Amino acid sequence: MSPFQYHPASYRDPAGFVFELDGKLYRQVNTVYRTQYAQLMQSGCYDQLVNKGWLLPHTALNNNPTGQPEALCTIEPDRLFFISHPGEWSFDMLRDAALLTLFILRESLKHELILKDATPFNIQFRNGKPVLIDTLSFEHYHGNEPWVAYRQFCEQFLAPLVLMHYTGQSLQQLLLAYPEGIPVATAAALLPRRSRWSLHINLHIHLHARVSKRATQATEQQTPQRAFSRTQLLNLISSLESAVHRCHLKEDSTAWSDYYTEAATRDGYLVAKKELVGKMIAAVPNVHTIADLGANDGLFARMAAENGKQVIAADQDAACINRLYKALKKEALPVQPLILDLAAPTPATGFRNKERASFISRCHADLVLALALVHHLAIGRNIPLPMVAAFFRDVSPWLLIEFVPAEDEKTKVLLTAKQRAYPDYTEAGFERAFGADFSIEQKNPVPHSNRILYLLKRK
Amino acid sequence: MVQYLLYIDPGSGSYLVQIIAAAVLGVAMFFKNIKLYIKSFFHRPKKDKDTPPS
Repeated sequence: MSPFQYHPASYRDPAGFVFELDGKLYRQVNTVYRTQYAQLMQSGCYDQLVNKGWLLPHTALNNNPTGQPEALCTIEPDRLFFISHPGEWSFDMLRDAALLTLFILRESLKHELILKDATPFNIQFRNGKPVLIDTLSFEHYHGNEPWVAYRQFCEQFLAPLVLMHYTGQSLQQLLLAYPEGIPVATAAALLPRRSRWSLHINLHIHLHARVSKRATQATEQQTPQRAFSRTQLLNLISSLESAVHRCHLKEDSTAWSDYYTEAATRDGYLVAKKELVGKMIAAVPNVHTIADLGANDGLFARMAAENGKQVIAADQDAACINRLYKALKKEALPVQPLILDLAAPTPATGFRNKERASFISRCHADLVLALALVHHLAIGRNIPLPMVAAFFRDVSPWLLIEFVPAEDEKTKVLLTAKQRAYPDYTEAGFERAFGADFSIEQKNPVPHSNRILYLLKRK
Repeated sequence: MVQYLLYIDPGSGSYLVQIIAAAVLGVAMFFKNIKLYIKSFFHRPKKDKDTPPS
């Protein structure tokens, strides 16, 4: 047996840790967490949360793979095919993750447990629904204490949601800039004055910021503990729920949000393309996971998922990804929507730059779909074709890519905005650039267009 | 003080703000309940709107 590897992000909580062994992820529960874990499992809380689909189920192991004496037990959580970061989520994904956290908190109180942390990194998405992945987030509730993770919830969930609500902008990048949450003082300073008229936002952001500042100035680190009744805590949770419920991001139509609606109007183009893409995907052996990069609203990602594949659907356009997420909530397909700028994919962050892996190292796709994308990278973002090819080589062994020639209407739109020429952006130039890293397995013209679909295999 | 197996810092003033917020919310709930009580004379009470995010 090979030695186990500590998960680089699982070091904060003394209750246990996640480790990898022989390609599988496990969670060790330490003996210091004995009574809390017993209460979670024996009070019916675990069963209730798992039945509702709110907590990731696990299987308990009979052995101790790490051999550590402090191990109480080891559990194997259900495997997720992709781990997303909150900075890659759309507005509705973050909002649903926030609501899920509050619903779990409310449910756990019924079993005399309370959430000891409230971070979006503990939430993942499975078949279009949020799920808590940290089984060790529960602590005993004694019936008389405030919520220890209140500030964390306000900074990690409420602050970004409220900022997006009041500015009308998708500000996912803020979550990348503030991995520990946007400080309430920062959020309060950025919010417009009218946000003070909302009782809940005033309490949880503005008042929170003022009281925190005074407490810091007075070095009042230890607030004298006063009894905080269950009713008060439930009122606080209701208030946070109201604050989250009231957050909405108006969906403006963006440049790409009607792309496929418009494309569908072109005679038979989309039907023929779907059929061709389906055939070409079927020609690739052993495909379980597909990364649809430049997925738009996920038309092809959903098609692949309906055919039994797990799909990572990434696009730069937040409105498209939000719409895809809303559709997935109803369809429950194994598609992971992601907001991602392919010219600057999510970097590795956290301690030693190892805690949160980069997009490329998390994307274990058997096949990449890159439909109507290459012109955006090569012309829109000025990335030379050999560098585009090298990116795809890093991501996957197989690539289904659409070449959109310079004469195409969509490329012309990009070209007219540019003052420079792209002499290598030709069919021959494309094949030359990609030929260095890939072999051409199939080359098919897309009917009713001048585009070409290539099925490429990494050399 | 309750001893937890905690690893996060609740934040300076975070407990205090919860106590203040709870007091304000308590008053708000008091008036809300009166409003609902009066309303219930004229309408059938509505079901709680809290639903899971799924």
